[in-house]
Amino acid sequence: MIAAELAKQAHRARGWVTLAAMAAIPAAIVLVIAATRPGLAERVGDYGSVVTDTSGLTLPLISLNAMLLFMLPLAVAVFAGECVAGEAAWGSLRYLLARPVSRVRVLGAKAAVAALYSLAAVLTVVAVALLCGALAFGLHPLTVLDLQHTTPFFVASTRLSPLSAIGRLALAAAFVAATLSSTFAFALLLSTITARPFSAVAGGLGLGLVSRALDNVPGLHALSPWLPVTDQASNLWTGFFADPMQTVGVAHALLVQALYGAVLAAAAVWWFARSDVLA
Amino acid sequence: MIAAELAMQWRRPRTLATLAALCCFSFALTLALALSGGDRLQRVGDIPLLIVPERSGGSIPVIALASTMKFFLPLAVAIFAGESIAGEAASGHLRYVLARPLSRERYLLAKLVVALLLSLIAVLLVPLAALAAGAAAFGWHPLTAIDGSASTALHTAVLGFSPGATLARMGVGTAYVAGGMLSIFSFAFLLSTLTAYPFAAVAGGVGLTLVSRVLNSDYLPGVAVLNRWMPNNDVDLWEHFFQRPAQTAGMSHFLLLQLIYAGICLTAAWWWFTRRDVLT
Repeated sequence: MIAAELAKQAHRARGWVTLAAMAAIPAAIVLVIAATRPGLAERVGDYGSVVTDTSGLTLPLISLNAMLLFMLPLAVAVFAGECVAGEAAWGSLRYLLARPVSRVRVLGAKAAVAALYSLAAVLTVVAVALLCGALAFGLHPLTVLDLQHTTPFFVASTRLSPLSAIGRLALAAAFVAATLSSTFAFALLLSTITARPFSAVAGGLGLGLVSRALDNVPGLHALSPWLPVTDQASNLWTGFFADPMQTVGVAHALLVQALYGAVLAAAAVWWFARSDVLA
Repeated sequence: MIAAELAMQWRRPRTLATLAALCCFSFALTLALALSGGDRLQRVGDIPLLIVPERSGGSIPVIALASTMKFFLPLAVAIFAGESIAGEAASGHLRYVLARPLSRERYLLAKLVVALLLSLIAVLLVPLAALAAGAAAFGWHPLTAIDGSASTALHTAVLGFSPGATLARMGVGTAYVAGGMLSIFSFAFLLSTLTAYPFAAVAGGVGLTLVSRVLNSDYLPGVAVLNRWMPNNDVDLWEHFFQRPAQTAGMSHFLLLQLIYAGICLTAAWWWFTRRDVLT
């Protein structure tokens, strides 16, 4: 079932176009940096900073930081929001459901394939940035400045060997992918509710927008650890590049994502199993 | 024509719900601050201004406007602008309206004026509701704010504003934010003439604020040249009115930019709508 769905999605242009965009943007970032501003410090996350031409390993960090706000959530929302609503928009959903397969299994297979594509989007960003960065600036050890602990008298920095940096990069990619799961689950839920893929995708992005807007209201700070998408939680991966690794709050962020993911996905299953499919 | 349109929009649940939601935001904010954190320093904006809300009700409009200007107000404005024409198309009324002996320009103009008016009400409502709630909760004392950018470890730049001065600065600030919504409004209005799905027009309007936020050198290296030309980036400059002396750098540029965006989008909307083949 999952294999059949995967084969079907692999024939569609949408997935490839989205992944190509996820590859093109880091490549463009590397190009812009190499062409116009090598050797400048770029901020990464809340307190990290890297100097671009010291190592190609800086580019995956810069790319992740740049794409975390909008492009990656967009890619994830496209995959999750299209998966059922896209079928409904084509008019093929009711024929699909007429086959002797339970609706829960259909949704499960579609969600699994969409999740696979979403994961691929995150990995594409990191891999392409790493590749282009290595070509442009070489695979030298990675130096990360810790702006939190840097004073006028003392520069706090971490130097990581290429191998260790790539290992931490893999961890960071996994964490970033996990922080996107609330967006994914919300877009999936909308996808089962609406027959217009655009609405599901825009709504999935809207979750992050509302959440960030609430996060920025002074006086509502008590709320922010429990919001699905916040800058603090999304930026926790930069702590992986400190020495020793800073993992404060990572478990909490993952728990919040798991909660939102589980509740929204359960709602999607509940809704889809009962909905009157007309398209 | 305008009066009829206004009367119709005013009765719609959508209009009232949007305005009520904005009011509720101000009330909920006041309540949240009164229940927790009213006696603590709150950081407002990028300067940052450091304000203890409890000291004066005048602090609530500042906080409310600062926390709605980047998403909730653009959303409300995009709803009013995006629904205006597309809403008629979605309910299937548009072709009957256009069948009446009335030029499309006049119809578009009436829609535009009413949507503008509702958007203006939305922007005014947030600080007004916050002012009322703040004054009721914390009293009407002079506003004290610490200018975070002018303060160092050795010197704290404390600024005091009399109630009259707070009101005046809030008034000009609100007018500035209202002006800053023009680009989003016009873009959503343009989309509203293009599509028959109101949701797409609203999402497009909100999408413009997103583009503005994403193409920001804080996140994406190499796009610093674009920053000054983004439609929603500098909407927070009004906070500088609460520095001393009040800073106005960049404001006229931003307002001019809004006029340029509005001019382009509204002309395109007019051009398209007067020629469009209306099917719904």
